[in-house]
Amino acid sequence: MAANKTGSKNSVLTAVKNGDLWTRLSMILMGAGLFGHGQKIKGAIVFVFEAAFIFYMLATGFHALAMLPGLGSVEAGEVYNEAKGIYEYSAGDNSLLLLLYGVVTLFVIAAFIVLWVLQMKQSYKCQKNLEEGKHVNSFKEDVQSLFNNNLHITLMTLPVLGILIFNIVPLVFMICMAFTTYSKEDNHLMLFDWNGLTQFGRVLNMGGNIGRQFWGVLAWTVIWAIFATFLNYILGMILALIINRKDTKGKGFWRFCFVLSIAVPQFVSLMIMNTMLQPYGAVNVLLQNLGWISKPIPFWQDATLARITIIVINLWVGIPYTLLQITGILQNIPAELYEAARMDGAGPVTIFFKITLPYMLFVTTPYLITSFVGNINNFNVIYLLSQGGPTYVGDTAGQTDLLVTWLYKLTIDFQYYNIGAVIGILTFIVLTVVTLVTYRNSGSYKNEEAFM
Amino acid sequence: MATVTLKHIQKIYPNAPDEKKKKKKKNDEDEAPHRTYHLKVTDEGVIAVDDFNLEIKDKEFIVLVGPSGCGKSTTLRMVAGLEDITRGELYIDDQLMNDVDPKDRDIAMVFQNYALYPHMSVRQNMEFPLKLRKMSKEMIDEKVNEAAEILGITQYLNRKPKALSGGQRQRVAIGRAIVREPRVLLMDEPLSNLDAKLRNQMRAEIIKLRQRINTTFIYVTHDQTEAMTLGDRIVIMKDGEIQQIGTPQEVFNKPRNLFVAGFIGMPQMNLYDGELVREGDKYSVRVADALIALSEEKNAALLANDVQPQPVTVGARPEHISLEEVPGAMIEGTVDVSEMMGSSIHLHVNACGKDSIIIVPTLDLKEQNLDSGAKIRFTFTSSAVHVFDKDGLNLEYK
Amino acid sequence: MTTLNPAKKNTVSGRKRAVNILVHLLLALLAFIWVMPIVWIVLTSFRAEPGSYVNTFFPQSYTLKNYVKLFTDRNVLNFPKMFGNTLIIAICSCCISTFFVLSVSYSLSRMRFKLRKPYMNMAMILGLFPGFMAMVAQYYILKAMGFTEGSMIRLALIIVYSATTGLGFQISKGYFDTIPRSIDEAAIMDGATQWEVFTRITMPLSKPIIIYTVMTSFIAPWVDFIFARVICRANADQFTVAIGLWNMLQKEYINQWYTCFAAGAVVISIPIAILFLFMQRFYVEGMSGAVKG
Repeated sequence: MAANKTGSKNSVLTAVKNGDLWTRLSMILMGAGLFGHGQKIKGAIVFVFEAAFIFYMLATGFHALAMLPGLGSVEAGEVYNEAKGIYEYSAGDNSLLLLLYGVVTLFVIAAFIVLWVLQMKQSYKCQKNLEEGKHVNSFKEDVQSLFNNNLHITLMTLPVLGILIFNIVPLVFMICMAFTTYSKEDNHLMLFDWNGLTQFGRVLNMGGNIGRQFWGVLAWTVIWAIFATFLNYILGMILALIINRKDTKGKGFWRFCFVLSIAVPQFVSLMIMNTMLQPYGAVNVLLQNLGWISKPIPFWQDATLARITIIVINLWVGIPYTLLQITGILQNIPAELYEAARMDGAGPVTIFFKITLPYMLFVTTPYLITSFVGNINNFNVIYLLSQGGPTYVGDTAGQTDLLVTWLYKLTIDFQYYNIGAVIGILTFIVLTVVTLVTYRNSGSYKNEEAFM
Repeated sequence: MATVTLKHIQKIYPNAPDEKKKKKKKNDEDEAPHRTYHLKVTDEGVIAVDDFNLEIKDKEFIVLVGPSGCGKSTTLRMVAGLEDITRGELYIDDQLMNDVDPKDRDIAMVFQNYALYPHMSVRQNMEFPLKLRKMSKEMIDEKVNEAAEILGITQYLNRKPKALSGGQRQRVAIGRAIVREPRVLLMDEPLSNLDAKLRNQMRAEIIKLRQRINTTFIYVTHDQTEAMTLGDRIVIMKDGEIQQIGTPQEVFNKPRNLFVAGFIGMPQMNLYDGELVREGDKYSVRVADALIALSEEKNAALLANDVQPQPVTVGARPEHISLEEVPGAMIEGTVDVSEMMGSSIHLHVNACGKDSIIIVPTLDLKEQNLDSGAKIRFTFTSSAVHVFDKDGLNLEYK
Repeated sequence: MTTLNPAKKNTVSGRKRAVNILVHLLLALLAFIWVMPIVWIVLTSFRAEPGSYVNTFFPQSYTLKNYVKLFTDRNVLNFPKMFGNTLIIAICSCCISTFFVLSVSYSLSRMRFKLRKPYMNMAMILGLFPGFMAMVAQYYILKAMGFTEGSMIRLALIIVYSATTGLGFQISKGYFDTIPRSIDEAAIMDGATQWEVFTRITMPLSKPIIIYTVMTSFIAPWVDFIFARVICRANADQFTVAIGLWNMLQKEYINQWYTCFAAGAVVISIPIAILFLFMQRFYVEGMSGAVKG
């Protein structure tokens, strides 16, 4: 990659240095080089893009850039619209939109620079080809190559655009928010300013209210992810082994019973669980009718109990997935391994720890990492079961809130956008560290082709 | 129908880690898994093929042969257009092909694992290249039927590849390649997925096929028997470099170097440490205590090169060792194993501290003890002794 | 040895039988725990007594009214409308996502280009951000495009569900990777362009993964309620099924609608369950294909 990068840099420089009139002209009049070297239609298209860019910059781009450092200053009236349930604003600066337009403009400029570099390189290449008497592709040939050797461009343009507009731009936009005062606190929803790392300081400072909550939530998130991932993994594997035992009858039936719970959409089954475990829900009713308990068990009202309940219910949700995924792999373990171990006199427990588990760990490390990441980001289970509760008075985070659910509450419910964004960034950092450390050390990463 | 010319062809795999891995893996799959390569590595990357020069005549059958990782498949794939050519020029019928797409080269290829399209019937498989060329339905039918006829697969035309045996699949693969009458037909180890018996049968069929279709063949194999039986000329490669180009007869009788000598011929040529002795204009080789005079022809060749006496490696094929008594030229050895093959006996003999193989024809075998443990004396047929210098080059052709 | 000591053999097989019985009992218990909530919700959907809090586990009497109400009551929570909305969104986003996923996976599996590795790394990094961290920003972008009012909301949801699916290529790329490269090369030698290889060779060979992709992307809009809630806000006539079901459990509706919720849950679970049971083979294939050593 490094070689490629320096190569591309050089070729733009050389294009400027050794380019003929057309190539140099395209520094200002993009596409001129292509036009002058025989690729008329392509040159014209590139030029249209430049014109569109200039038009955009004149119409909104420069204004957006100019507003980006200050994020506006004109106060505005704020009216709550009951019918729509949103705030409506009378004229004035809207820092949020200014930020958004600013970010978008930065991306447009970046795209423009990429286009500029590409067309410089291409027109120089055309020039070279003409000089050396080589063939210069006609427009028709260019289009044909989009369905042959450049098929990836055709296939991936739209998906990449989608990712760019609806994932990367929003992410950058959100990350920017972390460095602003955009929050309902002190009423900065309309007009806000850059304020650097202040919010990070607040979140990471263990003494403050937000900081105390953050470290609490982080600790619970990690505990939760470890329990959820490894309990599911181990118990799921044991269940898979039990079902796959030679002497177990009706393997298909048992598997079906467990897999059935995956087939029910997760949010449905979780909401069902939530209602079943309410003080007057089915479980408490059943237990009271049986006379085992005298008053309802506070599944969601007691912090410790709520956490345990969530982990247990997550077993209900997660074990079938593990079962499904592991069954296939278990059957792939070479039978000779087992036979050899049995010949050597190993019992079932030894076989599990010495053969099955190491083999599974080796093969399923990527899966474990994915599910660990998935659990840290497991919004559904927490939000649908406990909604993060129970929550102490004065806190924004409940006792069972994960970083993600807290993030959701902070942005959607409380509208503390800047803190929410900080939490999002910190979640990302936690995940990156965990993933990179485990991923880099796993055998499966080291050879991509081994996946094939 | 076409000449193919390769001029100074070079292939370098850039040093990107994943590329290297892929290359290594492909070789592993191909053949021997535990072989060390001595490919040259430069700043640009690994040189897989270096300075490959070859002119292939119209309708010639060329075989590229060599051990795994020698670059023969890479060369073939460069001709096909599946790999880019790093340096050098490839011409087909005097037309430069370096930057031409595979589909425009008018070349067909048969793959080692057949690479049939599993979702298409045999007929559809064979029609596919013609359909892509927008040929008329009648023409397609005619050509497919003709090719199926040649290969004897007419009765399978409506089956899926899954329902065919290995040999039948290979026929279909060949059928798919010949149906559009390509200028050049490339075959990449087409027989190595077949069992020994089928392989012999298919080999014969390829020879027959060759007589029926007018095209230039380039055939890659690691099996020297295939190379010898099929090729008009054989190109022997090692570590990305050509070792020798010649007819089967030439590479067998006049190996340019030790590698070719050892690679071609089955069982392998026996090699001994010896010494080249010159008395006046007469050359002879000394192995152990035996002094073996070289034949007139070889003598003349050495003389022409003005070869000086030196330590050498002496090579003699198992077929070219005789038990006939020649005074002063006999090497002593002990029989380790004696294998009766019918028409001949293969003797594994321990002589001069090395294992040698001697083939003794049974037809006019004298009464002699050839069982294991027996002491025997043998000598080389003087017209078939090969003399290599310490760099492994054949002194006759230096 | 065993023939000499039949008594010992008997005790061994006896112990084995005991273990077997224990194992089956355990499995039965576990299966009961797993199946019970599902059975309970099905029973509740037929329960005649209204309300969410009841003092019996099993319903006292059974009725079909919940289902009838679900599909006829258009005044409070317009379930049929929501069903229609979701169906339209699901069909559209399914087409787009399938195209995106297959295109990206094919390109990454079969083509070699400069940005291939960077793209895959980028996808991995983006995958580490909490999924809806971008959600608020997405909302504002869609709003700036004018997609957050009236029936444009459907378009907005389609975009939300399908625009970023190009990141979810792993399973189908894993599948494409298992198709031998030489088949592509054979097709190229036969005169096919890459496009023809894609459409005439790889696609027909990839039916399982196409079905899998179609189904997962079709199911997504039915089971998501986070994005749907943020995008729809208070536009009740644009609600999807998931928001509807969620609302049925909110304080103001739960007493009237609890049994209807159960019915609704059953109604959307059945087709999804059937789809799922049908495609679990591909799911397993995709997974074990992706991790096999």
